[in-house]
Amino acid sequence: MDMAEAEFTQEEVMVVYPTVAEAMAEALGCDVGQVTLNASLIEDLDGESIDFLDMLFRLERAFKVKIPRGKIIEEARGELAESDFEQNGKVTEAGMQQLRAYLSEVPAERFPSPMKVADIPRLYTTETFCRLVLRAKRSDLTAHAHR
Amino acid sequence: MSAAADTGLSGSSIIVTGGSRGIGRAIVELLAAEGADVTFFYRDAEAAAAVTASGQAAGHNITAEQVNIRDAQSCNTAVERIAERRGHIDVLVNNAGVTRDNLLAMLDDADIATVLDTNIGGVFNVTRAVVPYMISQRSGKIINMSSVSGEKGGRGQTNYAASKGAINAFTRALAVELAPRKITVNAVAPGMIETEMSRELRDRAVDEVLSRILLRRIGRPQEVARAVWFLASSYADYITGHVLCVDGGFKME
Repeated sequence: MDMAEAEFTQEEVMVVYPTVAEAMAEALGCDVGQVTLNASLIEDLDGESIDFLDMLFRLERAFKVKIPRGKIIEEARGELAESDFEQNGKVTEAGMQQLRAYLSEVPAERFPSPMKVADIPRLYTTETFCRLVLRAKRSDLTAHAHR
Repeated sequence: MSAAADTGLSGSSIIVTGGSRGIGRAIVELLAAEGADVTFFYRDAEAAAAVTASGQAAGHNITAEQVNIRDAQSCNTAVERIAERRGHIDVLVNNAGVTRDNLLAMLDDADIATVLDTNIGGVFNVTRAVVPYMISQRSGKIINMSSVSGEKGGRGQTNYAASKGAINAFTRALAVELAPRKITVNAVAPGMIETEMSRELRDRAVDEVLSRILLRRIGRPQEVARAVWFLASSYADYITGHVLCVDGGFKME
């Protein structure tokens, strides 16, 4: 948990938050006032998987970054090999530990047990999307630096 | 048309792939004549220039973009540019397609790869580039050019038929995915149409071909374009996942 908390400061998160919240409201067709930092797109705000995708598209356009769809889960599993992270579509014990650290902004009680890999996006909150943007911006900077 | 409802096409932003010749050209010209802002993708620069020149002379809004639809990145870049220019993308017509007819045993690897990569791979590439915009808009119409070959067997067309059958399946599956955002996905399946693509077959076996068409004549590109026009218009708002045959009643043995 400490690792992820050290990743970005709350100040950094709050810099991108207004734009992310606005994207969230537009993706869901709801009032931006309903969007809070720790609201889950799917669980709290009744979003569907297509709203999740819309959210990624909107963030890509708003921040001019690339968030490869296939990388969402890959990023969440970090250093763990796929076979250590999941088995038969369920997240392993080691995988859960990694996931809790990666999604440190998500309250512990929201993680179901057992957890299906396909259900990971259900955990995503507005803050998770903020962090996703910050990571994408950072890897973009790294890519430019290596050119 | 005065008593009819607005088609919704005037001022709309439309992408047509393979728009410089044949059926694609007829689609570009018909939709542009309806007042749509049409961007078409092409490979053949000379043919494309002719389409834009005659369109501009008629006061139509037609733009040509040279795009290799087999290359996903090239599709993304072109679509991004169009979306930035127009602010929205209302209709996508996946029309581009090629044939490399031969008996299966005679086909070489390139004949198979070219047809599948262009006809179905291209549909994936362009559609994947466009769909994010349509999802965010909560509207859009996607029309894929299939063929009678996608449903009925034809000698020397395993590669082409496989690509068109794939388009029909793609159309139905994508219609399910995009319905929550009110995006419709349909296909048009032409039979024998008077284009360069079918010229060789028509020259070789016109009587045999005609004997299989109930209406006993070859179709015109404009007749296919009319079906696309319909599916692109607001008249077809309640139609999705459909494959519309424009084939004069084609039957195969």
